[in-house]
Amino acid sequence: MENTVIKINNLVKRYGDLIALDHLDLEIKQGEVFGLLGPNGSGKTTTINCLLSLLSFDKGDIEIFGKKMTPVSYDIKKEIGVIMQNVTVFEELTVYENIDYFCGLYIKDKAKRREYVEEAIKFVELGDFRKFYPKKLSGGLLRRLNIACGIAHKPKLIILDEPTVAVDPQSRNRILEGIQELNRNGATVIYTSHYMEEVEQICTRIAIMDKGRKVAEGTKDELKRMIKNTETITIEILDIPDNIAKEIASLPHVYDTDISSGKLTVYCSGGKHNLTRVLEVLQKNELSFGRVYTELPTLNDVFLEITGKALRDKED
Amino acid sequence: MQVFKAMFKVMRSRLPSALIYIVCFFAISAIIANASTKENKFEASRLGISIFDEDDTPESHALTDFLKKSNDIVEIENDRDIIIDSLYYKRIDYALIINKGYAERIKAGDTSELFGSYHMDDSFSVVYMGQVLDEYVNSVKAYISMGKTFDEAVTSTEEVMSQNAEVNMFRADNGGNSHFSVDFAGYFQYMPYILISIIISVVSLVLVTMNKKDIRYRTSCSCLKESSYTFQLFLGSFLFVFVIWILFMIAGMILNKEVYTGRAWYAVLNSFIFSIVVGTMAVLVASFEPKDNVLNLITQVLGLGMSFFCGIFIPVEVLSDKVLSAARFLPAYWYVRANNMIADITQFDLNEVIQCYLIQLGFAAAMVIITLLVRKVRYSGAAIGTAVKKAAAEH
Ligand SMILES: Nc1ncnc2c1ncn2[C@@H]1O[C@H](COP(=O)(O)OP(=O)(O)O)[C@@H](O)[C@H]1O
Ligand SMILES: [Mg+2]
Repeated sequence: MENTVIKINNLVKRYGDLIALDHLDLEIKQGEVFGLLGPNGSGKTTTINCLLSLLSFDKGDIEIFGKKMTPVSYDIKKEIGVIMQNVTVFEELTVYENIDYFCGLYIKDKAKRREYVEEAIKFVELGDFRKFYPKKLSGGLLRRLNIACGIAHKPKLIILDEPTVAVDPQSRNRILEGIQELNRNGATVIYTSHYMEEVEQICTRIAIMDKGRKVAEGTKDELKRMIKNTETITIEILDIPDNIAKEIASLPHVYDTDISSGKLTVYCSGGKHNLTRVLEVLQKNELSFGRVYTELPTLNDVFLEITGKALRDKED
Repeated sequence: MQVFKAMFKVMRSRLPSALIYIVCFFAISAIIANASTKENKFEASRLGISIFDEDDTPESHALTDFLKKSNDIVEIENDRDIIIDSLYYKRIDYALIINKGYAERIKAGDTSELFGSYHMDDSFSVVYMGQVLDEYVNSVKAYISMGKTFDEAVTSTEEVMSQNAEVNMFRADNGGNSHFSVDFAGYFQYMPYILISIIISVVSLVLVTMNKKDIRYRTSCSCLKESSYTFQLFLGSFLFVFVIWILFMIAGMILNKEVYTGRAWYAVLNSFIFSIVVGTMAVLVASFEPKDNVLNLITQVLGLGMSFFCGIFIPVEVLSDKVLSAARFLPAYWYVRANNMIADITQFDLNEVIQCYLIQLGFAAAMVIITLLVRKVRYSGAAIGTAVKKAAAEH
């Protein structure tokens, strides 16, 4: 039942000496919201540009809808909606004219196009801004215009490259909901981002990329199961004697501890009641402690464990 | 025709600056037209000149006699202060010193350092006297080198020069019976400046906008064929050039209260060919994808540069030989050359006019070829363009 929409085989793309894509394989099925997660420079945009035949590549095959993708595959391109990483609109055209232009590249019939453009405007809630020029729009509204330009022709496959960069939280949520709505209406979605929260929130399957390679792939639960960390406990504590630290480190399921800047961090792998056991040790030794919190693993932990570095700096 | 339509929407944003160019054009046309009528009057009236003959030979006397015929000689003392005062108070327009050795040099064919002069810097008399003296000595020199005696050379020179003056008068009165008056020719004369300014600033801007990397990528993601994209860009640019040209042809008729007949049609064709050259120039400029302010600068440099070096703002006769030989490498030079020839019945030679047309078209062809080369280099990394051809070949 699950049809393959995109098949990327052994894709290699070099920029001079830099290997931007290193033998990449991807398979995306119909109806998925497929997330391509990776830090800046990991090759997400390069993947998308190769996929769309915008860039030539050194090796590999790309099939879309079961056919080889080439720069002249106009029948394939017709079914694809593209939202580029940079907002790609004409400064000189109004909101309406911009959507009409991009929609018109696919839809020739005027009446039908007018209807589609209106639907797209409604979808991204830009109704009050029809006659505005892009310069007058805020970052969030611009991003929404960018999306409207990509989806107005009702494509079967929608590719979004970091569509929420520099967007306020409210617009971001609206965009994410919109993408899920498009997916419910039958579109297959590819979504690239370096924000793991977004990818966790909307993607049914995720590939994690680093340095042009796919380092992991699966649903978010599958990905989290891949790593041994299941729970991270953090306790604010001023001083902790060595013997007690050792005792905690030897508790069942604890595989690592870390004491720094007034904080004890305990990494656990599987098991239940890990927090209770740690607190029991502290109480037994009459050590006073401050706030206590536990975290479940995120995709960042997955990334950290696989590549040995954080997905991104805390706030960027 | 989405791309085609979008081009004209992009042009909207450029209309105000295009209007400024048009206003400038008419202002400059008016100023220059004014100046040229003054010049005509000036030629008709006589200059007041003082001549200090340090050579004092029959040959130098001949020159003095020649100048006397068309000018008023004012006797003043040969004293620097007095001469400068006289110039300042406009008792004389020009003071000429015939240097010692004039006769010997001119007979030996050496025309350097024959004269000294005092004059006000910015006066027409400078240009006028410079021209008359140049023509006189060069012509005398030429006749002598042909084997004539000095006296014969002077006689022939005077004959030719008085004839030319008549021709000029005739030309100033009326363009002859072919209905292409000097004013009308003047309108065509200044047209390159405005054509360059408007076409380059608008067409290049639109092409740069349509070819921005993001927009180009985004458009080639769609099912619009690359050939259709290119064709629509071409059509849009050409239509704009054509409309602007037509507007100027119509404006020309209205402003000069004349219709196109006779030789005027050659000027019309000349301006059309030049418009096409400017169109290809705009495409070439656009292929470097200049930023907005750089584009403005390029427009100014091309517009003003060609205007000054090719005899649009300054008559060709005043330009030095060096400038003119360099100007041959600019298309406006050939436009002006053709236009001057069309305007002047005595110089009109259809073959040469056609030659000027062809040279301009040659510039257009060269521009297209350079554009293709530039694009090849600039887009070499992208799949579109190059890859389309590859993929098409594979099929
Ligand atoms: N045109 C280019 N020329 C050279 N290197 C490039 C070019 N485009 C991207 N790169 C490099 O390729 C790598 C992947 O870039 P990109 O695909 O844009 O990453 P991402 O979209 O994941 O941030 C980066 O190291 C980037 O610097
Ligand atoms: Mg990117």
